[in-house]
Amino acid sequence: MEIEFGLEDLAKYPFLKEAGDYVKELSLSIEDLRQDDYQPALKRAKDRVVEAIQKNSISTEIEEPNLEILSFPLALMLVKAIGIDYFMHRYSLAESVRAERLLEKEKKPIISHIFKSAFDVDLISIEHNVFDFKMNMVEYLLRATHFHKPEWKLVNRIVEKGFVYVKTHELVRLMREEIRKVVYERMKSLSLPKMPENVKEIIDEINKALPPVPSKELQEVTPGIFPPCVMHVLDLLQKGQNVPHFGRFLLTSYLLSIGKSVDDVINIYPRAPDFSERLTRYQVEHIAGMRGGRRQYKAPGCRTLITHGLCFKDEILCARIKNPLQFGRKPLELKKKKAKQKIGDEHG
Amino acid sequence: MNMDEKTLAFLKQTFREFYFKNSGKINAPIRMNEREFGCMSFDKVMIRHLSFQTEGELRVFLIKETPHSVYYSCAYYYEPTLTMDEKGWKGADLIFDIDADAIPTECKEEHDRWVCKDCNFMGKGKRPEKCPRCQSNRIDEDNWVCHSCLNVTKNEAIKLIDFLLEDFGISKEKIKVHFSGGRGYHVTVEGSTLEKLDQLARNEISDYISGMGLSLESLGISKGASYDDMRRSLPLANEPGWRGRIAEFFTKLEFEGYNEASKDIRDKILYVYGKMGYKSFEGFIKEIVNKLSVKIDVMVTTDIHRIFRLPNTLHGNTGMLKKECDDIISFDPLIDAVVLSEEPVKLFVDSAPKFTLKGNSFGPYNSEKVTLPLMASVYLMGKGLAKVIDHE
Repeated sequence: MEIEFGLEDLAKYPFLKEAGDYVKELSLSIEDLRQDDYQPALKRAKDRVVEAIQKNSISTEIEEPNLEILSFPLALMLVKAIGIDYFMHRYSLAESVRAERLLEKEKKPIISHIFKSAFDVDLISIEHNVFDFKMNMVEYLLRATHFHKPEWKLVNRIVEKGFVYVKTHELVRLMREEIRKVVYERMKSLSLPKMPENVKEIIDEINKALPPVPSKELQEVTPGIFPPCVMHVLDLLQKGQNVPHFGRFLLTSYLLSIGKSVDDVINIYPRAPDFSERLTRYQVEHIAGMRGGRRQYKAPGCRTLITHGLCFKDEILCARIKNPLQFGRKPLELKKKKAKQKIGDEHG
Repeated sequence: MNMDEKTLAFLKQTFREFYFKNSGKINAPIRMNEREFGCMSFDKVMIRHLSFQTEGELRVFLIKETPHSVYYSCAYYYEPTLTMDEKGWKGADLIFDIDADAIPTECKEEHDRWVCKDCNFMGKGKRPEKCPRCQSNRIDEDNWVCHSCLNVTKNEAIKLIDFLLEDFGISKEKIKVHFSGGRGYHVTVEGSTLEKLDQLARNEISDYISGMGLSLESLGISKGASYDDMRRSLPLANEPGWRGRIAEFFTKLEFEGYNEASKDIRDKILYVYGKMGYKSFEGFIKEIVNKLSVKIDVMVTTDIHRIFRLPNTLHGNTGMLKKECDDIISFDPLIDAVVLSEEPVKLFVDSAPKFTLKGNSFGPYNSEKVTLPLMASVYLMGKGLAKVIDHE
């Protein structure tokens, strides 16, 4: 069955190419934004941005589909004009959460159609008492490895002839991350035109409403000598992205083990979207052995990190280490040893 | 026993003659110029980041340089000769390594030995963590293979192929099985969409094959649920994937007290669960998974830059060939991968247990002069257990 998106659908999912085409057909110029006709769309764009950046969410109400569709590219332009990467990430996340909420209630054929249109992935609809679709295993893996709960592990899925069985709400969760990326990339590749005065004013207003960008502690504590797994977690934090629980455990236990103080470690966290100082302090102190079982936790080993999908091994620097704490210790000696080892044994 | 110059030269000469006579059989791997090559010389110097443009170039290299071991990358690069960071990774074959060392077998008690480097205390079987006499952890291993452990290893490869065909839907033509020339098998998937999978995704693949992290919930068992609810979500024997494999196992299981009155396997699973309780059942499932999973080396499969021995080249430690198994069922590595001649060689053997090559038994030897066919001589010399005495 061939499905076409209606205006309502495009309003719900304005990141779709079809929505972009719709806006293109209006052949608007930046100068048109001075006109009264477009003030409601600009207003909605501003609301989108402010709500996203302040509350990490965007309302799913759709009053006027046209307005909703048009406000999306305008909002991208406004966020880009703020010029701070951190807010571009925050905005993309909020847009993806909005889409996720709408998709949760969406019909199966539309979900399948969006997957095809936006990510060029074919889904096969199935009749099953638990699952709704099957999806190519490679496509599944490329997306699902970002999730760390056991149910996402391939070993816990039904896998048949290269296809993985999935439920609708799982697909929606997979899509959220993709949508976030699509929105972010769109914004990133946008080139800004010279703004008319009324748009500049809106940008100023948004600037005033922005929450402060969190401390620079993070950069100061990142001298670039950390192992790739720790760097990965720091990188996620820096981008304001969500860090899985185990990633936080890795970072905290690692930094404490190399002699950072509890306060140093806590100061790294404010960039996380769901930061709570009290909770973070409790957790950090727990890992430091100041609370609970009074046991100081060591940084997890490489094998454990591989299982949690947090190992980003460097071929040379990580050779022969079993724990990230060994990273960078006498790398020259390790290299020499590596050259000498009986490689023939290792490779069969 | 350290290898002396004469023995090294002898081995090198033997390999050179082999490559010279058989150069026509050395084939370039597909997309050769996108791969990194590496080799180790007989004095154990490793060279990496090599690249070959033509099959001829590769053949000439083998004859001229005569390395102890030759490797090629599973990965495809834009610039294979640059450093790791600069190569530009395009994708990589999916490769599995199954090694006899990693699978516990009874024969290891017979043919494997270890010796403590500090107090010279010796023992048979798998090496202990620490020397029982002096507590040192500096222990040398001397591992051997026999028909028995190589067969067990081969069975793992056969299990793996079933996973690749049935679960991952990889077509038969894309799967290649090689005996590594040493102690195990390499199973390679070339030219499939799996090629672009990153390290994280390959970690999932290897966890799947080795059954690592399989949860009871995925089988429909959860602590709080009622029996009725659980029964609905338990697996059936004809289901695909792990659920089907485990249900299938239950159909063959003989369990005391169960009368097989119901034809539905879910009743049997529920019965066993009820008798055992959650904790024991969890352990029982672990045992089943251990039986059904494949003992692959997970580090190998997840490493997207790794280099592997090049097919149809000699293994420097054994003189055996890394050989493709056209029919894995009938393949016998101790016959089919033994390619050196039976020309007699005089050598001094430090020590060796009884071993078999091409249907002939040799040894055991203990500090003695013997005359052995070339294939057996190189096998012992490659392991560093023998020295050449006299050879024209």
